[in-house]
Amino acid sequence: MIQPDNSSAIITVKKLHKCYWVGSMPFPALNGVNLSIDRGEFAVLAGRSGSGKSTLLNVIGALESADNGEVIVNGENILGMNHTERTLFRLHNIGFVFQSFNLIRVLSARENIAYVCQLQGMDKKESEGIADHWLNEVDMGHLGYRRPDQLSGGQQQRVAVARALATNPKIVLADEPTANLDTQTGQRLMCLLQQLNDKFGTTFLISSHDPDVKNAARRLIKLADGQVVRKWEKIPPAPPPISKACPIKNLPLAGRIRQFLRKKRKRPSKTGEKGPTPRRS
Amino acid sequence: MSNAKRLSLTAYLSLALRNLLRNPRRTGITLATMIFGIATLTLLSALNDGWLEQMRDNFILSFTGHIQIHASGFESSQNLNDHIKAPGEVILLLQDSPEIQGWTQRIRTSGLVSLGGSSAGVQIMATDPEQETWVTHMHRGLKQGRWLNPGTSHDLLLGITVAQNIGAEIGDRIVLMAQRPNGEMVSEIFFLRGILETGAPQIDRTLALIPLNAAQAWFEMGESVTDIVIRASSHENTASLQLQFNRKLSGGGYEILAWQDLDPMVRQWLEFSDAYGLIIILVVVALVLTEILNTMLIALHERQKELGIMIAIGTRKSQIFFMLLIEAVMLILLGGALGYGVGGLLVLHLSDGGIDLSYFANAFKFFYMDPVILPLLTLDSATRILGTTLVAALLAGLYPAWRATKIEISQSLRTF
Repeated sequence: MIQPDNSSAIITVKKLHKCYWVGSMPFPALNGVNLSIDRGEFAVLAGRSGSGKSTLLNVIGALESADNGEVIVNGENILGMNHTERTLFRLHNIGFVFQSFNLIRVLSARENIAYVCQLQGMDKKESEGIADHWLNEVDMGHLGYRRPDQLSGGQQQRVAVARALATNPKIVLADEPTANLDTQTGQRLMCLLQQLNDKFGTTFLISSHDPDVKNAARRLIKLADGQVVRKWEKIPPAPPPISKACPIKNLPLAGRIRQFLRKKRKRPSKTGEKGPTPRRS
Repeated sequence: MSNAKRLSLTAYLSLALRNLLRNPRRTGITLATMIFGIATLTLLSALNDGWLEQMRDNFILSFTGHIQIHASGFESSQNLNDHIKAPGEVILLLQDSPEIQGWTQRIRTSGLVSLGGSSAGVQIMATDPEQETWVTHMHRGLKQGRWLNPGTSHDLLLGITVAQNIGAEIGDRIVLMAQRPNGEMVSEIFFLRGILETGAPQIDRTLALIPLNAAQAWFEMGESVTDIVIRASSHENTASLQLQFNRKLSGGGYEILAWQDLDPMVRQWLEFSDAYGLIIILVVVALVLTEILNTMLIALHERQKELGIMIAIGTRKSQIFFMLLIEAVMLILLGGALGYGVGGLLVLHLSDGGIDLSYFANAFKFFYMDPVILPLLTLDSATRILGTTLVAALLAGLYPAWRATKIEISQSLRTF
């Protein structure tokens, strides 16, 4: 087992390279990415389509291999693992929230959550108890017996979040979690993720180009052409009360847009414009 | 890193059942195809078994019996010199055996039958008139006249074709000519008491049947016989009886032949029919297999993303493999049971009247077949059909299940 350089870092990525091939044409997706995410962080990977966000999440999530470099997640070098080791690693360490909800269609919301618990070896009763707990955490306790096609997109994504957290993972990786949601539902989801991050200290790494998601980030990492071009941390907001959580949620839509545009103007640009001093990590 | 535990069988079954029900129309169409295929297979197999059974029964019960005991070498020489000198020691073994329904003694030799200026070569068969009725159904083939009287009466029964060939009628005085064991040619007058039509042209064309005692006296053979013919209580006992007699009579100068050994052509025909039946089974099973394979591959294609998700969240590929295999097995078990049930009902419906193929009756006679075929369901055929289908289903399920384990997660998700 390789120990992380920094004891507080749960994800350490060093000189990570990944290239896709279409026929004989190489398409470099990651060009020497270096990155470190601390335990309990709520970080967002931002960047345009094709910038390498999803590939980086894939590799960190042990879903895909890389050509070169080192990826240490929770103290384990995941690039050296075989297929079964990676599967078990994911099961015990990582929760996933996908863009298009991706629940198992034939299982109810409760069963979707209980399923991952059963994969971890829990019996049916115990796993259903955990499923009920997490359904309540995401405010879906009353809809647990519905199947995915009987739930709205937002509800499905809440169930997906509950499923991601039910196995008590060290890290939750979310790929464009709001992409298929309307603005308001997306904002609610981000509030929920923030609350869960605050409450349980689970590390969240989210990829998105949704301004609301970037706005909700406590640390923003910008990727371009397969490289990290900017990393900064925002000052963590004071933890909101768990119930009616979110400052974003409470703003009217127009206000939220104004707030977003204001913040965007204030951020430093690539050309070196001065903005409010972001702290580089 | 701790290992993931196995999912319970209930969890697999529940997932498999729900996956089958996720597209009820497709599952329904697949099931309907399987039911049709397996019902057809059951019916064809029952017809095949039915006529094979009739053929075997007719062959055994018209003349041959299940087992014949001869003096060594008689079957090839057909010479009266090769006779059983003391049949009593063999007959002692036959008494009170539950596996034996009846037995009789016979003398068989070739000879000549003459009436006036007409004559024909015949197979002279002398038998105990009473015992014979326990072994064969020859007496049921009496077309005219009466059955043989026991004792030394000079009764004679002729096959219908022989009788027609020499123009014999009931009551005629007929001369039989044959060779004694010592080689001396002898002739004797017999009285035609009956004409037999066994349904087997090769018997009707050559048979001359006389009482055993009369033949023993005529050939000066004392108690000797050439054949001891045994009817087993069921076809299945034939092999074990043959084995028993081989053991008990070994070294005594006997040959113990089962019905299959007595007419290689019939044996070959039965084996060919079995092989033909197997070919039919394989063709239908191949169709069912293709249907299941098709359904599973379409389902796999549709569920590629979901399977990718399952692997991503920690489902091992072996678990995915097992889940898909269970789906295939559930499908085939349901389709197999329903198909066999429907086929069974069809067979039941046809078993009263059978399928009448009288139009082809003359062709059937050569093969000891009845023109009306009665389908027959046997445990053997059920095992064969359901076993073959199950194996085929497993094979059909293996490939999609294996394909599922080759899913690239990142490609199936596409969003990552």
